[in-house]
Amino acid sequence: MNWKTMTLLAAFALSVNAADTKTYKIAMIAKSSTNPVFLSARTGAEAAAKELSAKHGINIVIDWRTPPTEDGQVQAQRLAQAVNEGADAILISCSDAGKVTGAINDAVARGVAVMTFDSDAPASKRFAYYGVDDVETGGQVMSELAKLMNGKGSIAILAGNQNATNLRRRTEGVKKEAGNHHGIKIVDTFYNIETPQDAAAEVVRVMKAYPEIEGWAMVGAWPLFTKTLLTDLDPGKVKLVAVDALPAELPYVEKGIAPVLLAQPTYQWGYVSVEKIIEKIHLKKDVPVINKMELVRVTKESLGSWARQLKAWGFTDVPEEYLKLP
Amino acid sequence: MQRVIRSLFQGQQTGLILVIVLLGAILTGFAGSHTDRLTGREVNNFLNVHTLMQTATDASFFAIMAVGATMVIISGGVDLSVGSTYALAGVTMAMTLRVLGEIGMTQTVALGAVICIGIGLLCGLLNGVMVVGLGVHPFIITLGMMWVLRGIAFVASKAESILVPDALTGVMKANLGLSAALYPVPMLLMLAVTAVGALYLAKMVMGRHIYAVGGNVEASRYSGLRIGRILIGVYTLSGLTAGIAAFAGTSYYGSASCADATGYELYVIASAVVGGASLSGGKGNAINAMLGALLIVLIRQSIRTLHLDQNYEWIIIGCAIIIAVVLDRVSAQFTLKRLTGGDK
Repeated sequence: MNWKTMTLLAAFALSVNAADTKTYKIAMIAKSSTNPVFLSARTGAEAAAKELSAKHGINIVIDWRTPPTEDGQVQAQRLAQAVNEGADAILISCSDAGKVTGAINDAVARGVAVMTFDSDAPASKRFAYYGVDDVETGGQVMSELAKLMNGKGSIAILAGNQNATNLRRRTEGVKKEAGNHHGIKIVDTFYNIETPQDAAAEVVRVMKAYPEIEGWAMVGAWPLFTKTLLTDLDPGKVKLVAVDALPAELPYVEKGIAPVLLAQPTYQWGYVSVEKIIEKIHLKKDVPVINKMELVRVTKESLGSWARQLKAWGFTDVPEEYLKLP
Repeated sequence: MQRVIRSLFQGQQTGLILVIVLLGAILTGFAGSHTDRLTGREVNNFLNVHTLMQTATDASFFAIMAVGATMVIISGGVDLSVGSTYALAGVTMAMTLRVLGEIGMTQTVALGAVICIGIGLLCGLLNGVMVVGLGVHPFIITLGMMWVLRGIAFVASKAESILVPDALTGVMKANLGLSAALYPVPMLLMLAVTAVGALYLAKMVMGRHIYAVGGNVEASRYSGLRIGRILIGVYTLSGLTAGIAAFAGTSYYGSASCADATGYELYVIASAVVGGASLSGGKGNAINAMLGALLIVLIRQSIRTLHLDQNYEWIIIGCAIIIAVVLDRVSAQFTLKRLTGGDK
């Protein structure tokens, strides 16, 4: 057997092997590609794709189709495009459940499995949802804030995009829980564009307009991605509790401005969801419709272990000093 | 015959169509293929009826708005409020129909269309009256109205995403005898609005007046044209097309919210400009605006179909707009030079 024959045989064997390997294309449509929490979800999805590909002898491809800014209509368009281009499954965090429900149902009618994460479309035919219980999350934010304020004082709610169902439900949870703390007065609910600078500017504007505010219940931690509030808020006077605890937000815990952050393990959005999708479409297993994600309570005491967890999930911007903490 | 062929190849529409066909050919060549889950057949990722229809549908909502916005641009103005008019019209329709409850399919569709078109006309009329009456640059008036109208939609809807009755979605997603998951109604509506807009601009006296005003407002005034009335009419038509687009878009996607069509005014203006409309007025047409919208959607589509890094989407669209305008300018200079005998 000469080298040409061997090469041909090797190429044939490789091509047979490649043809035998089943490929699953999962289109991932988060709310916005400029929001770091969704980038960590993507990292999680890609890690799960790699691990599960090796484990099951298949080829899982994550096709990232997230729009640059939040727009339910664009999400619906991208979902339809993914189906037209042969996606096997869709993983979506809905900016506006009403807008994407029709597109999800169309995809399911054409045999494509759809799963939601972070923000659900409960009226659609998606087979599963993975994320926190938003009303409970809002309640937890308020409960932690009330503890920090000894059950009394004026607070404001930072509520993010007013069209996102999940944020509206968290805000509802905050208000519901506030009703259990009679000394707490909600000054108002403030919506904001979900970019760090816009959110920080909104907090600063509100603080100037309502100097009596002593606490912030933030259903998302957008302003903590900037350093603005580290200098503009006095930790002796104002406390805040927010959902999410990514590397850039950790100094707020250290400085005592945000003594408690309730972290969503956003990496798991991608990782766990891809696992569920593969269970459904490859292993043909039944997957529960609602898959609840638990929040992680990040405080000064747990800062070190949380920082190391973030690093292990692939975050490259975790400050060194936190990694060294016990 | 020779003259017809020459004019066909010299027309800007031909240029746009050629670019669209060329881009389509590139996409077909590089898109790859997949096995259709239902039929089991191998289909090209781009050149399949679902993708082509989806591309036309995606373009249709802002192509319809682009027809009206092009008329404003031809008149020498600009309308930045079309996205907000869309949102307000959609939200008003959804809220009204929710309050009324079940009223029968025909009544639902008719009332929905009347509300969207009525709100669109009203917003456009308001823009026109303020532009003419206050004598303030249309950029400022429509910029202000952009915020005012979206603010009204926000306050009225309490930022809720409101579902519309199934009757509306049923009409806008009717497959008209095609296979399932093919929805040609938005595309047909786009073609109809474009055809009416093109006829209005090319064949009707009112349409020709718009070119005259945009080309030289003082000369038009001395010719006895009623500039104020023409401008009010132009902004009203822009509002009308925004209302039609709102009816189509809100019905197609099944819900309305105050954040709908945020930033679409820029896509609409870009469609008109890519279609050859001159921001200094006097130039542009409805068919080109529709082709401009199709081209922009196709560029967006190609970024995903070719698996390019989609973070470059804005850069690519921005560059495409600049290139289109520069090519148009060069072509205009070339034509002028030839007409004045400079190329002898």
